[in-house]
Order: sequence, then structure tokens, then C-alpha cells
Amino acid sequence: MARKSRGRQKVEMVKMSKESNLQVTFSKRRSGLFKKASELSTLCGAEIAIIVFSPGNRVFSFGHPGVENVIDRYFTRNPPQNSGTMQLIEAHRNATVRELNMQLTQAVNQFEIEKKRGEELSQMRKAGQSQSWWEAPIEELTLPQIEQLKVSLEGLKMNVTKQAQKLLIENPGPPQFFASSSSGGIFPYDRKAGGFNPNMVLPHYDYNNPGYRRGFF
Amino acid sequence: MTRKKVKLAYITNDSARKATFKKRKKGLMKKVSELSTLCGIEACAIICSPYDTQPEVWPSPLGVQRVLSQFQKLPEMEQCKKMVNQESFLRQRITKANEHLKKQRKDNREKEVTHAMFQCLTGKSLQNLNLMDLNDLGWMVDRNLKEINKRSDSLKNVTISQMAAGPSGEHPSQRAEVPAFEENNDNMHRQQWFMDLLTPQEPLGFGGPDEMMLPFVDNNQNPPWSNTFFP
Repeated sequence: MARKSRGRQKVEMVKMSKESNLQVTFSKRRSGLFKKASELSTLCGAEIAIIVFSPGNRVFSFGHPGVENVIDRYFTRNPPQNSGTMQLIEAHRNATVRELNMQLTQAVNQFEIEKKRGEELSQMRKAGQSQSWWEAPIEELTLPQIEQLKVSLEGLKMNVTKQAQKLLIENPGPPQFFASSSSGGIFPYDRKAGGFNPNMVLPHYDYNNPGYRRGFF
Repeated sequence: MTRKKVKLAYITNDSARKATFKKRKKGLMKKVSELSTLCGIEACAIICSPYDTQPEVWPSPLGVQRVLSQFQKLPEMEQCKKMVNQESFLRQRITKANEHLKKQRKDNREKEVTHAMFQCLTGKSLQNLNLMDLNDLGWMVDRNLKEINKRSDSLKNVTISQMAAGPSGEHPSQRAEVPAFEENNDNMHRQQWFMDLLTPQEPLGFGGPDEMMLPFVDNNQNPPWSNTFFP
């Protein structure tokens, strides 16, 4: 299987020959560089400034507490002023950064969880495809198979409709429509989302109640 | 190289912090150097720490001077455009992480619904589904039906044109275009699907029993198909 990226491969330390690759490399590595600088600041309290010029001659810079700050300090060789106000400002800034780091960690962790779930689901689909012909991609099916599948799907559609009507009758009125979803009722459907509204998915992600997800889906 | 996850917070243990600083500072300098070489661009780094009276720089004091003056010659707007500090940088990363999360959830939801659809096709009950699930399920069924119709049309066209054109005839059968879960142009279609629920539907007739039929179970009316395929 061909590799998509060259991670964990040795890269020769010379200027890249292919212009397109060079631009992509710059983009990725610059991003990674700033990430490392950010981590160094957070973990060790270091003050850092990094300035890079892109192949297109745009300038990117990262600085903690600020690019100008660090440059001035470098040139003047003055120790940073430590007035009461400065300390207060710094304390506030550090608190904000702490909070942001926590948010970032949280977001990344949640993503990892979802990614893992995605891999599980893909595995399930793969297993399903090898067992049942109707789970295969439609392009791989023969005409008679497609016709059968169509009939079955139409039958399913009918049942889904019936069941939904049943629920609607039992719970009359749009406000209760999405009562179980606690998403605040977006009946009939969120037009802005352009189709599937991922925000409606959130109520399902109740990690404290895994029974729901494993139970049906 | 540790493979343990490092918590993104100030290291309170003095010796651990100093050791981390040394390692990471070295790594950072290496990365700047690589970036500069690989992409043939100008760069500089300045690192100040409580461990050194002098800031440590890359590539060299002269090199830093050069890059800084290049930087400061630029109009202020250009300087600031892509300038970030910890706060702004972290906010950017958080935004990106949330975007990735959202997309992954959407993809997962699509996979879950597809899986549910296949389960229901082979007889699983619809009882445990709420309206939202039913809506998504119905949408997924519709999308598959659409794809099926497209595919069966194109297959039939191939057959017809092959018959018409003789052995040399060719009509490349088109790959059924699968609309992305999100780029569903049928926004109105989706709403329509649900609105249809509120109006009485004509029940669809089932085809006659066919031993190759999927064992679709209609809980309300028809008895389960007996099927040689699925005991």
C-alpha cells in the first residue's frame, strides 16, 4: 500500500525540488514549529519569538508573550520590568493560556474518542460487506441483486414511515417533536445546515449512557 | 523519546522542567533549521529562559539581526497579519480541533445510520428508534434508493446500447455519483420526506415472494418471508 505521507521516513536535508511539495511542507512544518514553540512556552515558561518567511515571501511569526516584546528584550538586553501592573497583566495572561490549553486538550481528546469509534464502525462495515452481499457498494451488485435490494428498501421505507407516524400521533405537536433530542426543536428541519445537521447529533453522544448507542446502533 | 502523553501545563517540578526545557529547546532549534533548509526560506528563533542570562538564538546573532531587520522593514500591517501569540494561536488550534471533531461526528453518524439500515433490512425492530433516528434512517434509505435507481438505469442503458450498437458498442457505465452526506442538494427533499409523514401514504405493495428476497420483516402486517438464504 502506497504511503500517503512521509512520516517516520528519513528526509534528506536539502532544499526540496518539487515546488508543490515545498509549499505543502512549509505549511505543515511551520504549523508544527509553532505548536512546539507553544508547548515549550507552556511547559517551561520560556519566552520565545519565531519569525519565518514563506516561499511566497509572506511573514509568519509566533511570540510569547508577544513577538515585539521578545524582540525588544533581545535588543535592549533589559530585564523585563516587574511593576505591579505588569505582574497583574502577566498573571491574567497566564490564566487565560491555562484555560485555553485545557480546552484544547479536551477537544483533542474528544476527537480521539470519535476517531476510534469511527474506526470501529469502519471495521463493522467491512465485516458486514464480506458476509452479506447487500452491504456491498451498489456498483458491485448485479442488476437482479439491485432490483431485490430496491424492493426491500422500499419496504423498509414504508415501515419507517409508519413507525414515525405512530410516534407523531403518540406525541402530538411540533414542540415535543424533538423532545428526546433536547436540541431545542428545529422543526421541520434546519434549512441552513444544508442537509444533515450534525448539531442534532449531539444528544446522542451521551457517553455516560453507553447503553443507548450500543443497544440499537 | 517518551511515548507518554504530556499534560499541557507548566511543569512544577524544577528538575523535570529544566530537563524538558533543554530537550525541547534543542528540538525546536532543529525544527527551525530543517524548515529553513527544506524550503529554502529565511527564519530566526529567539528563546529566553530563566536558565540562561543570554537568550539562545538560531541561526546566529548575525543571522537573527538579518531576519529581524528584514521583518521590521515590512509595513506594520504585513508584520501583524500572520502574527500570533499563545492566546491567539491556541484559539486557532481549538477552532480547528472542533472542526475536525464535528466532521468526525458527522461521518460516524452516517456510518451508524447505514449500519442501522442494514440491520433493519434483515429484520431488526424499529421500536427503539426516536423520531430523529427514524428521520435519518428514512433519509438514508432514500439516498440508497436514489443511487440504486441511477445505477439500474445506467445498467439498463448499457444493455440497450450494447444491443443497438452491436459488439463494438460502448457506453461506459457511469459510476453512480454518491452525494455526500452533507452536500445533499435535496434539502427540500429531506423536509419533504418528513412532511409526507403527516399526509397519508399509499402503502407500497410488496413483490411476490421470491426465494432470493432479503428477509424483510414487516412487523405490522405481512408474515416474515421464508427464505432459503437466511435460516
